[in-house]
Amino acid sequence: MSSRNKLARRPKLEGEGFFGRFGYFFARAVANLRQNVLVSALTIGTISLSLLIIALFLLVYVNLEKVADTWSEKVQLTAFFQNELSADEFATLKGRIASLGGTEKIIYVSKNDAMKRFRARLKGQETFLEGVVPDVLPAAIEISLNKNSRNSEAVDSYASRLKRIPGITEVQYGEEWVRRFNTFLTFMRLVGALVGGFLILAGLFIVSNTIKLTIYARKDELEVLGLVGATRFFIKAPFLIEGIIQGAAGGLVALLALAACYFGFLHNAGNFLSFNITAAGLSFLPVTYLAAIFAGGIFVGFIGSLTSLKRFITI
Amino acid sequence: MIQLHNVSLAYQNDMAALNNVSLKVPKGDFIFLTGQSGAGKSTLLKLLYGALDPTQGQVVIDGQNISRLSRSQIPLLRRKVGVVFQDFKLLPQRTVLENVAVTLEVLGWGKKDIGKKVYHILKQMGLEHKINSSPLRLSGGEQQRIALARALVNDPKILLADEPTGNLDEENKEQILAIFKEANIRGTTVIVATHDRRAIENSHRRVVVLEKGRIVEDSDVVAE
Repeated sequence: MSSRNKLARRPKLEGEGFFGRFGYFFARAVANLRQNVLVSALTIGTISLSLLIIALFLLVYVNLEKVADTWSEKVQLTAFFQNELSADEFATLKGRIASLGGTEKIIYVSKNDAMKRFRARLKGQETFLEGVVPDVLPAAIEISLNKNSRNSEAVDSYASRLKRIPGITEVQYGEEWVRRFNTFLTFMRLVGALVGGFLILAGLFIVSNTIKLTIYARKDELEVLGLVGATRFFIKAPFLIEGIIQGAAGGLVALLALAACYFGFLHNAGNFLSFNITAAGLSFLPVTYLAAIFAGGIFVGFIGSLTSLKRFITI
Repeated sequence: MIQLHNVSLAYQNDMAALNNVSLKVPKGDFIFLTGQSGAGKSTLLKLLYGALDPTQGQVVIDGQNISRLSRSQIPLLRRKVGVVFQDFKLLPQRTVLENVAVTLEVLGWGKKDIGKKVYHILKQMGLEHKINSSPLRLSGGEQQRIALARALVNDPKILLADEPTGNLDEENKEQILAIFKEANIRGTTVIVATHDRRAIENSHRRVVVLEKGRIVEDSDVVAE
């Protein structure tokens, strides 16, 4: 009977259940951020700087990849014939070439087309071509390969399959250039992965240590909560929400700073530096990358808080 | 009822902080733990709120051996035990209200109930007008009363105090001791660790003297 009375006197819990408690934890996290403005600003600043450095690296890397992609379109095979092809012959041949795996585009260059190109290249010195008739130039088919078939091995294999098609007398594709270009791509990706990996690790290290220091500065709070009977979840939850808020704010600040850098001067950096690496200048990061940077901020804020709390919560 | 059965505790590579200590504290009792610095007073209190586990022996509170409690059960024990310290352990960035409310927030109380209860206990301490102040703006005596309010606001069964008057002047010491006595009258078991001789002599309560981790005197036992 007495225990029933005790239960009846027990004050009603505010917001029973997960969402009720979440409201409390969120309000506590926001209050904590307000009460520790400087420390919070330091954490947000560190997260945003680390993410900005990574974002700038990505911006450069993505643009280099784009340039490499443009260059890779020059990986082209040219198949020559002794005689001009009739429309029917070209259609048959085109079908056979298209059936070879990796073909992206096939263009027929007639003897007349070849002559026109030659003339265009010798612009201003056309006198050299006096007396030369189109018949001396061979008809050809230019074949572009799709993205996955532009490496040295794939191009070699494609060329040997192409040579086996009857009627094709010669295949040219600048083996040495393709090999060098692929070596350059491999090197660029390797350096990119190394530098990117290093930047991400350095960023994680700096951010996690900053969060660790900020939580260490509040270890009395953790101790007091433990003394009054808070469970580990109760102690952790507001800190984790704080970490997420700080991470999201850091991510947002980094994206704003990136946009400011880009639209301020980087978008026309090609012209500015007299180094026009792409015709359209530098392009901004794709939305998926921006989302990943924002999500990275949230992730690092959450994980940094979680790992630091493990160290300082003694119950 | 608090019982210690042949409790020993040694810190790593150090001599024993407690050595074969046995003690019974009946429900509603008020005792002073005294002895020189390093005698083991604080260690004994830490055992009672589950901050340390004994190397040997048993610590039993209300029939429950607390060294067998899992980590998730420790918070439940601490909700029955209020603790105050010499350095108050108040959170400087929070207001007086928030400092006291934390005990009730942990229990899941609603905002309105917390507000009423905190105001009520602060009134008992004579500090209701400081409810929105920062602890940093309060005197030592006031800060200790806030710490006591935080420890007592959920009517704990046990109140532990580690040198609670160590930083206070005579007037504040008396105020704090009076609050302990009031809590005790309301049924809370009170254990105060102190080496303040005057406070002990004036209180006429049970005194347990520790020396080098052993109980060398217990006024209750002498009286028997």
